Amino acid sequence: MINDITLGQFFPVNSPIHKLDPRVKILSSLIYIVAVFFANGFSGYLFVAVFTYGVILMSKVPPKLYIKGLKPLVFIVVFTSAINLFMTEGQIAQIGSVPLKLGFLKITNEGIVMAVKMTARLIFLVAGTSVLTFTTSPIVLTDGIESLLSPFRKIGVPAHELAMMMSIAIRFIPTLLEETDKIMKAQASRGADFENGSIIKRIKALVPILVPLFISSFRRADELALAMECRCYRGGKGRTRLKSLKICHIDYAACAVMLMFVLGIAAINIFVGV
Amino acid sequence: MSIKVENLVHIYSKSTPFEKVALDNISFDISDGDFVGIIGHTGSGKSTLIQHLNGLIKPDSGKIYIDGEDITQKDINLTKVRGKVGIVFQYPEYQLFEETVYKDIAFGPTNMGYSSEEIDKIIREVIKTVGIDENLLEKSPFELSGGQKRRVAIAGVLAMNPKILILDEPTAGLDPKGRDEILGQIKKLHDEKNITVIWISHSMEDVAKIAKKVIVMADGKIVMYDSVDNVFKNDSLLEEIGLSVPQINKVVRRLKEKGVNLGENIYTVEKAKKAILDYIKGAKND
Repeated sequence: MINDITLGQFFPVNSPIHKLDPRVKILSSLIYIVAVFFANGFSGYLFVAVFTYGVILMSKVPPKLYIKGLKPLVFIVVFTSAINLFMTEGQIAQIGSVPLKLGFLKITNEGIVMAVKMTARLIFLVAGTSVLTFTTSPIVLTDGIESLLSPFRKIGVPAHELAMMMSIAIRFIPTLLEETDKIMKAQASRGADFENGSIIKRIKALVPILVPLFISSFRRADELALAMECRCYRGGKGRTRLKSLKICHIDYAACAVMLMFVLGIAAINIFVGV
Repeated sequence: MSIKVENLVHIYSKSTPFEKVALDNISFDISDGDFVGIIGHTGSGKSTLIQHLNGLIKPDSGKIYIDGEDITQKDINLTKVRGKVGIVFQYPEYQLFEETVYKDIAFGPTNMGYSSEEIDKIIREVIKTVGIDENLLEKSPFELSGGQKRRVAIAGVLAMNPKILILDEPTAGLDPKGRDEILGQIKKLHDEKNITVIWISHSMEDVAKIAKKVIVMADGKIVMYDSVDNVFKNDSLLEEIGLSVPQINKVVRRLKEKGVNLGENIYTVEKAKKAILDYIKGAKND
């Protein structure tokens, strides 16, 4: 019933982007996000679009999947562009000689530009950050986050514990989904109906799923805690890793590409500005 | 009630890199009142197969007829189908959720639309079938022992009065006594009410003891579908796909190699015991 939900979005293929160190990918994504907000004018957007498309092609993940990832965004895109379209002050746009104004609603030239820009920005942000989640498995991702957070341990950020909690949470998402699926099927076999009836009825129909699910989650948490204790888990101090993260040539290359991307946007802002 | 499956295909995560053919063009018939064991390795498609039989999952292609009615068609009333085909899942005790044992067993029949008097009657009957004491009915199911929980969960499925009962490893994780009791209760239920039973098991001993026919599955295909005798006779094929014959069968075979011929088709300890005793008596008389 709920087999179709893929955990995260990790798409395992062999591409240069998949091979990158997660830290490089996380930082690159952050830089990308900031850079997208600095991009100005249509030439800047074109540059970002070409760059994003290039990275998507390099990731060897079918572009179809990126488009699928954009779908949930449709509402937000429509909403923000509508707000931008109608709420931006400026010169009222005209089609021929007819001004686009109806009561308090008006469409301005600035509004149109703003709406297009915002839409483009949102699409860039989601598509660009999807590259990270498509090409990095959740476990590697938390390793990267832990490593990036570890300098902050000095000011009391429990980097290892946070990463461990994230890993455990991520680790148990498929297990819990499977469990939910199993319980739903078992209750459906006993004639439970989750799809029909009024909202109240459908909420009530969730009780036979949620109660067993909670019970088994607590049981699993208990068992896991016990198992960790049995193996003398004492937190992050002095722990080494089976697969330690290493920065390789390809990571330097990626950093260089990101630097060029940032410089490119800066150059367009300074010299072209349209 | 009879089951007829035609060219059933099921593919998980179709058109993604995780694509897996779980059922590969499966066809078989189970006649009314039969007792069929399904054996096969983990991942051979057993569980996927049985979940098709009450419409929990839809096939990618193929047809399933329950009592002549095609349950793969779109406008089928699945609740009705599920009342006819009861499935007891693996570790069914994890599906208990009500405050009392009574309410939990009543969940199925209530969904099926039985009246409360009928339900009361049914519950008194099914707890006898599965061997739960009446004074447990008002207890919370979570206070019970593992074996008792399992029985309550099985009772919850039986309470819908299914004509076809499918059990997915109902004895997994039980002690030998509990296993034998559940085995006996299901057998009794089958004999008395003449319901069709499908029993998935990893235990060749259980299957040999209780089933009439056996379906052997491997890699989403049916490798053998025959009587218990004929399936366990073919021990080389079973071992080839990573299964085995009941242990007692190996003992009988080794005895035969040593010159003690106990006869054919001995797959249960009881039969072997009898055969050995007969053999000893015969040897004495000679």
